[in-house]
Amino acid sequence: MKLPESFFETIFFFIELSLILGTLGVVLLNDIVYSAFLLGFVFACVALLYLLLDSDFVAAAQVLIYVGAINVLIVFAVMLINKKQSDNFFLVWTIGDGITSAICTSIFLLLNNTISNTSWSKIYLVAQLNKNTELITTENIRRIGLELLTEFLIPFELMSIILLIALIGAITLARGEQVINLEDEVLRNKK
Amino acid sequence: MLEHILNLSAFIFCIGIFGLITSRNMVRALMCLELILNAVNINLVTFSNFLDYSQIKGEIFSIFVISIAAAEATIGLAIVLAIYRNRKSTRIDQFNLLKW
Repeated sequence: MKLPESFFETIFFFIELSLILGTLGVVLLNDIVYSAFLLGFVFACVALLYLLLDSDFVAAAQVLIYVGAINVLIVFAVMLINKKQSDNFFLVWTIGDGITSAICTSIFLLLNNTISNTSWSKIYLVAQLNKNTELITTENIRRIGLELLTEFLIPFELMSIILLIALIGAITLARGEQVINLEDEVLRNKK
Repeated sequence: MLEHILNLSAFIFCIGIFGLITSRNMVRALMCLELILNAVNINLVTFSNFLDYSQIKGEIFSIFVISIAAAEATIGLAIVLAIYRNRKSTRIDQFNLLKW
């Protein structure tokens, strides 16, 4: 992003703070309605992060699909299933939770170690050598569209099939019982 | 800067794994799964922006990950609703019908 570095860092600091608090709230709060709405907030913050990283189409897709469809679906499911649980604000911490948090902290520290031990400047130099040295002046969405229809055509078409299967499957799973009862009724009336 | 964003996505990934393992409610487990997929997407878009600016392969892959996550969230929630309709409970550790 062609901003001065300190401006970038400041915005990124705010996005990072809200992401950290949001994800901790999603996992640790006891009331699942709060978790569902905090998840929508996390998705919106990730979309802002994509905007900061110069990928405007992915940010728009994130807001439309994640906040607009997946989060709405999750809030629907929470509202249909919600039962009043215990009155604590945070989760009750068991022994298994402690072991899992130790393991997850160690995974995080391992990842931190790997990230700081990798020499990103060398990888950047290799990437600079391999790319074609033409100046990119078109917008992001034109380039994504070009790549999707030339080099990534097969995954694109397969994705449409996957979405069709998911749609049919979800409708069949969520409504299965009623159709069978109707057929039983019809058979009984015929006799 | 690159390392900073990668550390953030590693944090979201680890929080998502922790929530997925320790959640007793099925919908919360699905929410943590979406967190994990979002962390992976942040990684892909970051690498695409910093290391691959001419051919934005990371962003295209992240579009596919977003749509796969949408399909999987739909089917996962349909399964959760079907289970809740039959069993009236959403505690994920009480369902052992498929156990041998």
